[in-house]
Amino acid sequence: MPVDHKRINGPEDTVPYSLYTKTNKQSLTEQYEEIRKTGQRTDSRAFSEHRKIFVRTGAVSQAKGSAYIELDNTKVIVSVFDPREIPNRPDYSLKGELYCEFKFAPFSCHKRRLHVQDAEEKQHSAIMKRALESTVCLHEFPNFQVDVYATVLENDGSCLSAAITAAGLALAHAGVPMYDIITSVTMGIQRDTFFVDPTVTEQNICLYPRPSESDTEHGIVVLSKLHTHDQVSQFYQFGNVSLDKLNESISILDETCRELVPIVQKYLVKHVVKNLQRNT
Amino acid sequence: MALCDAEKTFVLHGVQDNFRIDGRELDDYRPMELETDVVSHAFGSARLRLANTDVLVAVKIELDVPFPESPQNGKIEFFVDCSANATPEFEGRGGEDLAIAISNTLTTAYSSSLAFDSRKLCLLNGKKCWKLYVDILILECGGNLFDAVSIAVKAALWNTRIPFVKNVNIDGNNIDLDVSDDLCLCERLDIENAPVMVTVCKIGDKCIVDPNAAEEHCSMGSVVVAVSGTKISTIYQTGTGSLHPATLTESLQLGFRVAIRLNEALSKVLSRIRPDEEAGFLK
Repeated sequence: MPVDHKRINGPEDTVPYSLYTKTNKQSLTEQYEEIRKTGQRTDSRAFSEHRKIFVRTGAVSQAKGSAYIELDNTKVIVSVFDPREIPNRPDYSLKGELYCEFKFAPFSCHKRRLHVQDAEEKQHSAIMKRALESTVCLHEFPNFQVDVYATVLENDGSCLSAAITAAGLALAHAGVPMYDIITSVTMGIQRDTFFVDPTVTEQNICLYPRPSESDTEHGIVVLSKLHTHDQVSQFYQFGNVSLDKLNESISILDETCRELVPIVQKYLVKHVVKNLQRNT
Repeated sequence: MALCDAEKTFVLHGVQDNFRIDGRELDDYRPMELETDVVSHAFGSARLRLANTDVLVAVKIELDVPFPESPQNGKIEFFVDCSANATPEFEGRGGEDLAIAISNTLTTAYSSSLAFDSRKLCLLNGKKCWKLYVDILILECGGNLFDAVSIAVKAALWNTRIPFVKNVNIDGNNIDLDVSDDLCLCERLDIENAPVMVTVCKIGDKCIVDPNAAEEHCSMGSVVVAVSGTKISTIYQTGTGSLHPATLTESLQLGFRVAIRLNEALSKVLSRIRPDEEAGFLK
């Protein structure tokens, strides 16, 4: 792993203090049992309820297009830059390309993130690229590349799906030709509980199996959808989930993705109207 | 690999009629050859040849300190090397994206403790643990890398011998390990639930498994399904196309079914290999 010597990376072997605090000692298993017993999530949402969304475009004035999204405490900013020729490519390609970079800001998580992309961020970048590739009309800009940068300012779960939704909006704002509106939703699964749009604690609950006698399923699912064409542009899951549960989660996520579309649509219409008014 | 339109149509029509270019049906696999214990310096190794795809996996073990957030767990790390030997496309940094995709998919597939229990790799809570370096070398690329790699990794982990630690002495901050010199005295990993990946490739309206290079070229997108035991441990989509939700469900089902069959076949083969047998192309 190359280390950037110009930055202060902090001592190598530091540990976040929160490992020794009381809230950490109340184990995630206990928190999960609590949620199961009361039948209520910590922020008193229903299990299939998405958090309130705030979006706006044009957050970065220097970029061709940009979007900012908030899901309560999850805050992601995405910027899209002008197409440029694909670097280091000797042959002419008939299709354009997308370059996606997903990054957690160093201060966005409980543990400090480094400036270089780690494996998780690289994986997220690849998933983002996959999700967006089928949305953008790549044949419209042959031999050119559009750069999409997503930075998570604060991580309270469901960052990847927030970044994908915002990236779709930013691409539209940049005037990149697209087939459709893209929305994305994350889901956490722990035994028989489905957490739609999980917070970071709920995500951690779903990361590991909680001890139980019979059924020990857990996992995280991310689904991105193109709305009008009814197509899944990206589907990603990890954990340990049975096929039936997975199919169930697909239909729930499908429904939630559809619910997000009017919000994105409304914002795009607002943006177009504003532009028209400015031009007349 | 370059295919003209006529060749692509030929592949597509064949798939439509459940008769692929090499005579297989939609859910058939190509023949495989599996050898274990082929690298003498590794703690465990396996080589898999799936028709034209050739993969060599070696496991190295070293001592490390567990992560502070999971003091009871050992570590496992996957490195994929797509050398230009395999195909000229991998020259320079050409294979890097694919290598990262494969190693990340493996990492997530092995991350659940139900798939692979890394607690057994811990020697002393929060102080000492084994770290498994799983190095994957792609020797030849004939399509369907994800599946081939996952099978070879599972076989290599099955073959891995972890040195037996007789006792651990703690003296202040000094930790002294007493490791057995006897090579026959070793521990084995439990890999019963280690994930097996199956790539389901969509061509035309049909889904196929184990695509060869030509078929991969004709497909718009594929879904990699990693199955551990009877549960799905990772799903990762590759390629550029998008899928209808119904197609997605269908391909998950196909992938799941084939992976269970593949896993059974692999377990049967592994149980037949005698641990002391001398075989392999490097010996």
